[in-house]
Amino acid sequence: MSRSVALFMLLAAALLAGCETVQPWERAYLSEREMQWVSDGREAVLINHTYSSKEAASGGFGAAGGGCGCR
Amino acid sequence: MGRQSAAETGRGPASPTLTALSSSALLLPAYAPDAAADAPPEFTEIGIRYSNYQEDALGAESVIIGARERYDIDVTQAYVIAPVGDSWSLGLDVQHDAMSGASPWFVGLTAEGQPGVAMSGASISDNRLEVSANTRYYFDRGSLGGGVLHSREDDYDARAVNVDGAFNSEDGLRTYSASVSASNDKVFPVQGVIPVRIDEERRQSRSVYVGVSQILTQTSLVRVGLSYTLQDGYLTDPYKFFDQRPDERNEWALGLGQRLYLPDWRGTLRADYRFYSDDWGVDAHTLRLEYSQSTLWGDITPYVRYYSQRQADFFSVIADSRQEFFADDYRLSSFGAVTLGMRWEMDVRNWRVSLFGERYQSDGDLGLGGGEEAPAIVDFWRFTLGMTYRFD
Repeated sequence: MSRSVALFMLLAAALLAGCETVQPWERAYLSEREMQWVSDGREAVLINHTYSSKEAASGGFGAAGGGCGCR
Repeated sequence: MGRQSAAETGRGPASPTLTALSSSALLLPAYAPDAAADAPPEFTEIGIRYSNYQEDALGAESVIIGARERYDIDVTQAYVIAPVGDSWSLGLDVQHDAMSGASPWFVGLTAEGQPGVAMSGASISDNRLEVSANTRYYFDRGSLGGGVLHSREDDYDARAVNVDGAFNSEDGLRTYSASVSASNDKVFPVQGVIPVRIDEERRQSRSVYVGVSQILTQTSLVRVGLSYTLQDGYLTDPYKFFDQRPDERNEWALGLGQRLYLPDWRGTLRADYRFYSDDWGVDAHTLRLEYSQSTLWGDITPYVRYYSQRQADFFSVIADSRQEFFADDYRLSSFGAVTLGMRWEMDVRNWRVSLFGERYQSDGDLGLGGGEEAPAIVDFWRFTLGMTYRFD
């Protein structure tokens, strides 16, 4: 777990180090549906639920919903 | 549904795997709002999806007793999301699962001396209904959201709540997000063909997430997130004959993601990686890659997912019940899995039609962690048809 925390801090620091400035009017591509982190919420629910009931791992992005009898 | 026998109900016992797919794991999913979701929906949208999930039958050589057929699940999802005023959205989701099939009961030795599975028997069936509601408030520099969920089936009840927030930096290039969730569950296994040793037990989970996403260029963005989940209570599987698990589990997951738009190709590359670790001794790696291509006939997206996990400390192919904790559940074993999938989505006026198909194939040799393969690891097909309608 400490490895995860350390890696998270390192990667977050790298992100925060700054990148090129992209003005609001230059973000058209970024607003495309396929560029979203979750482009289809119900699909994400279904596949996360399926995988987490067949595998030991879960989580990663967002707090878990809980209520799982699967593990 | 109480303590009626399978003969009385005309059904077999509910199963842990049924419970698995029917429980609400991650149904308050990844509330990690992204950098682009800074405004409420402009229009009301309704949608319905139908999915069929079908596991492969076990090979005859792998089964000691019971049916070879495994789960067949039909899932129906319906939802509505609507703007409320200028700054709010409200959403309602309903999901129904209808399940039938058999699940592993325990692992023993076949006549040939190889590990084999005793199955629960055929004709298990179960239904689950889940209802969730959520809302979100949008402001200049981000949004705040919350939701509640109730899931009910014959042998499991889950009630969960979550709250999340996303806050943009002043230049809008960076988004900090956080969420917390809690779930209080009850398991009350159905006494049937498989004897169970409990009437009713409780389990809880508490989860927290922090993350940050960053716009890198006009065509790319990345994110990193860390989640921690504490599960405590009765975490043993009541339908497994040899299963005794610790009553607490601490889980960590580190996620990385990237999105890259390719203007010349009108395509999008999506990559996500997760490292997972818990204090049961499980480590897991997950990598998912997608490429979406826009065409005159909609968006076509092939994808591949690779997964590998190392087994829990107390797992063995044939459980050793002399230990304090033991399990022969294949889901706690070492294995790897590859998913190949394809989706197609097309907008026609106010409608969007979606089709999905994927194949999940697991194998002990695909895993990175070594260990002996459990005989009951699963392969499955999944197909989905979805339609949404936008009122504008």
